[in-house]
Amino acid sequence: MSRLQKALFLSDKGYKGLKKAIIACTITNLTMLLPFCVTVMIFSELLTPFVGGTIQWAHIWMLWGVGVISLVLIFLAAKNDYRKTYIASYKESNATRVRIAERLRRLPMNFFNTKDLSEITTHMMADCSSMESMLSSTIPPLVANVITVTLTCILLAFFDWRLALCMFCTLPIAFLIIWLSRNYQKKLFARQVDAKLAASGQVQEYLEGMKIIKSCGLSGSRFSELDKSLRIMKKISVKVEMAIGVFMSSASMVLQAGIGITIFVGTVLLVNGSIELLPLFMFMLMVTRIYGPILAIFSQLSTLLNLHVVTKRMRTLFTIRTMEGDEKTIPNYDIELEHVTFCYHTEDVIKDVSCRLSQGTVTALVGPSGSGKSTLSKLIARFWDIQSGIIRVGGKDVRTIEPESLMQYMSFVFQDVTLFNDTIINNIRLGNPNATDEQVIAAAKAAYCDEFVQDMSEGYQTVLGENGSTLSGGERQRISIARALLKDAPIILLDEATASLDPENEVLVQKAIAKLVEGKTVIMIAHRLRTVVDADQILVLENGRLVENGTHKELMDKKGLYQKLYRIQQESLGWTV
Amino acid sequence: MLNAKPKQMKSKTGLARCMELASNKKGLIFLSAILSSLAAIASYIPYIAVYFIIRSIIQVYPELSQLDIGAVMSYGWMALGGVVANILFYFLAIFSSHLAAFGTLYELKLLFADHITKLPLGYHLTIGSGRLRKIMDENIESIEGFIAHQFPDFVASVTAPIVMVILLLTVDWRFGLVSMVGIILAFVAEFIGFGSKDMKENMRNYQTALEEMNNASVEYVRGMSVVKAFNQTASSFKRLKDAIHDYTEWVLKYSLGWQNCMPAFTTIINNIYLLLVPFGIFIGTYSTDYKNFTITFIFYLIFVPAIAGILNKIMYISQSFMQINGNVARMDEILHIPEMPESIHPKKPGNDDVIFEKVRFSYTGKESEIAIDQVSFTARKGEITAIVGPSGSGKSTIANLISRFWDVTDGCIKIGDVDIRDIAQDDLLRHVSFVFQDIFLFKQSILDNIRMGNQNATEAQVIKAAKAAQCHDFISKLPEGYHTIVGTKGIHLSGGERQRIAIARAIIKDSPIIVLDEATAFSDPENEYFIQKAFEELMQGKTVIIIAHRLSTIRNAHKIIVMEKGRLIEEGKHDQLVAAGGRYAQMWNHYIEAVDWKISGKGSVINE
Repeated sequence: MSRLQKALFLSDKGYKGLKKAIIACTITNLTMLLPFCVTVMIFSELLTPFVGGTIQWAHIWMLWGVGVISLVLIFLAAKNDYRKTYIASYKESNATRVRIAERLRRLPMNFFNTKDLSEITTHMMADCSSMESMLSSTIPPLVANVITVTLTCILLAFFDWRLALCMFCTLPIAFLIIWLSRNYQKKLFARQVDAKLAASGQVQEYLEGMKIIKSCGLSGSRFSELDKSLRIMKKISVKVEMAIGVFMSSASMVLQAGIGITIFVGTVLLVNGSIELLPLFMFMLMVTRIYGPILAIFSQLSTLLNLHVVTKRMRTLFTIRTMEGDEKTIPNYDIELEHVTFCYHTEDVIKDVSCRLSQGTVTALVGPSGSGKSTLSKLIARFWDIQSGIIRVGGKDVRTIEPESLMQYMSFVFQDVTLFNDTIINNIRLGNPNATDEQVIAAAKAAYCDEFVQDMSEGYQTVLGENGSTLSGGERQRISIARALLKDAPIILLDEATASLDPENEVLVQKAIAKLVEGKTVIMIAHRLRTVVDADQILVLENGRLVENGTHKELMDKKGLYQKLYRIQQESLGWTV
Repeated sequence: MLNAKPKQMKSKTGLARCMELASNKKGLIFLSAILSSLAAIASYIPYIAVYFIIRSIIQVYPELSQLDIGAVMSYGWMALGGVVANILFYFLAIFSSHLAAFGTLYELKLLFADHITKLPLGYHLTIGSGRLRKIMDENIESIEGFIAHQFPDFVASVTAPIVMVILLLTVDWRFGLVSMVGIILAFVAEFIGFGSKDMKENMRNYQTALEEMNNASVEYVRGMSVVKAFNQTASSFKRLKDAIHDYTEWVLKYSLGWQNCMPAFTTIINNIYLLLVPFGIFIGTYSTDYKNFTITFIFYLIFVPAIAGILNKIMYISQSFMQINGNVARMDEILHIPEMPESIHPKKPGNDDVIFEKVRFSYTGKESEIAIDQVSFTARKGEITAIVGPSGSGKSTIANLISRFWDVTDGCIKIGDVDIRDIAQDDLLRHVSFVFQDIFLFKQSILDNIRMGNQNATEAQVIKAAKAAQCHDFISKLPEGYHTIVGTKGIHLSGGERQRIAIARAIIKDSPIIVLDEATAFSDPENEYFIQKAFEELMQGKTVIIIAHRLSTIRNAHKIIVMEKGRLIEEGKHDQLVAAGGRYAQMWNHYIEAVDWKISGKGSVINE
């Protein structure tokens, strides 16, 4: 694979398309030289009377004819290159977007629990867009410029190497200026990017903390962190522009000094009689035009050299390990953990946990926040793969089970309920896409959703807004329970609500959960210890370790952490203002 | 202050609006426009110099010994001078335009940030912080390109052709006219593309498709964990894929709509000489002074191609204008939302009682969607007033109205006999502390986070407040104590710890009225005890309004207000209300039931 293809993250087809686009652009560039040639030849005809001949108007008419033909050629070439570049680049970015989407769905579940998720997506989509425009309007013309300038340089050298040398002798120096300033520019760019990120972070904070900012009277420039970061960004941006301007301008001046050199040397050569009038004219005309494309290359040089930066995020995405596994079925729903250890970002989150959860029993996970309760439950569903130890579901190592198949056996009722911009009925139907309307409504009734759904303007056909922001916490939870009821998976992972719901809502959620867990293998993250006193097994976690294990009665008798937590909670329940 | 808020009824859009936004930097922008025009004009000089050289050669040709070498050399210097002038002018033009641009961006962002805090908070919820952020990070940012590059380029590309046309016409008006025909033809080709209805239609479709694709991809990723949990990746993938294909189809349609105009434009500006040639032949045939004719003809042949570079720029400028229009419009949409009216003669609140008088309020302004209806009550200083009711009953709305996050539709809210609309916004906000609506900590030191409640607090005062809020112990254990930056790697604050910092913030703010939302409180049972103690510190001697969920908490409140469907239906003390056997009594029974709920394999609700 060529470096360009790699740097641009192109498919084979896209790479081929790019090559074609470059060729098309080069052809356009070359046809653009035709008017120049015709003009020079017209000059030559016009000058014949000065060297003793007579003017042949017919010849000029002929040249004009050639010019008209070349005009048609230019149009055709330009149209061809326009079509080639745009079609190729849009098709390619279409393919890249689909490729990213395809990849995303194969990533481990945990990837989708990070907070900056939508940011990752938007960035990636923006990367695709900027690649799209690079492929269509930056790279092909630029590479074509390099080819055309080189070709022209060689051609001119054939005509008269001395003047060709005059014309291009400044090029290496100018190039050197740009090249040497590259590192400095890079450093400045990096600082600018940092400043931009910092400012954007402050904007985010400002928006998220709006209520506090308002109530503390810190709006606008009075929120000094925002003001500071915007100020820094302004300063560094001006500096970057200034630096680029200085380098580009000096390189451009050096380069175009070639105009003077060509004129001086040319005149001397002409007077000495060592060059004909026409070639000199040709060079003089050429010298006023040749530097434009070279300067275009210069100004885009850093972009060209840093193409891989644009695609960096995409490539990172493809280095994240996807989850493998072929097993599709499991014989029973016993869950076993053996010496399970799991680190996240080099931090041990779960340390050497072993336990057994039998089919059809209720297991509660309790412990202070940060003790690893929810991580442990998610490991069973294979949101992550563990570093050491083994997790078995139905006697099979979860790492050998195809992630999608494993999901078929599990339902989640978590606190953060994701709802889609779709009708209520479709949001519930997510649990089982084959369910009939009647089945969906039955599940909704069982989960106590029916009443509030009926209250909505269009009942089950009501479209929820973005992430269903109009629904209350309790209503969202009941929808997620309805989904789980519809899915009817044998293993249920449950996270007890932490945000207190109003009593009525809470009773309804509890009733719905009761229906859901009947006869299932249940793993429940409990916050209110009273809820789980009847659980078959209670696992008490602290700092990622399993410290106690048993039924409520056993643990109370033990007078350990569980008993302590239970006592504190009973006390605070009685608190009044 | 920046003149960014459109005052007149009919506000400007597009280019005019951009100029209005940058009006603070008028001087710099004007300067950059002049410099960039000068740069464009200087770019003609090398062509003219080359023409002069060719002319002096032709005039003596073939007797080269008569050639005035000195004159030719000075033309060479003239060409070089033109180059240098072009570069220098352009550099200075771009530099001053960037100064103007970044300065404008800075001011505009602050202005925008300031403006959005003055809007009723409800707008933030409906607009969404994502969109506001996009406006600040991207849409406003795009104005930079306009002021820094497009505007000076635009001015140059208008003045430079004018200067060129004058030059072309003065040397020989006949050739000049013919060249103008070429320039006009090129513009015609371009405007055919812009003007056509199809193109506008395609542009709209293309932008809609783009937006839909972006939304689809955000939803795709956001919903991925759920979709995966329910084995639905195939269908959600298909939805995104369709959106991507749609986008590609429209963007191609739009781009290919230019496939004739763009190449035609390029072709024409590079071939204007073809118009000159037949005309030249015609004049040449009848010319008596062949030498002069040749020199003039050659001048046009040399000079006319110079126009290509400048006209090319116009092409790009007009394309980016279209985008900037959209970006500015998006920003203006927000800037046009009227700020909350501030009283002209603000009054100070007399005492700290909060009084609701027949308050009616609707989020949407529609009579059918009334959130609060005819609510009247008084929350007295030094007392605890609790508001209870099912979700959607309007209790959070009451809390939001007190800080004037919204204005009431009817009736009024008073603090110590003064309508809150007559109190200066800053004053009001100083008077009311809102705890637990959102527990948001800024990525600053814990000290600064607490100090946010009172910018003038000393470190000692901050620590005192932290102690009162039960956070001193855990803060001291952090690697850098109070100077630990929130959100640094390895620093984990639990929900309860964050809540206690928020309480410390309220304690240091020491406002006489406290609004407490219990909904998000107690999310961390093991911290509950500490939080409760912190609460007690905070509430001493204040007017406390508590939105309660756990009814046991408020048994001892001085007054309990029961809300249902936006109406106040019961009011009194716990015992009275329970005894009355109304709605509250019913809720209390539910509550007892919920507290005793237990889960077991049989899946049944057990009541003890």
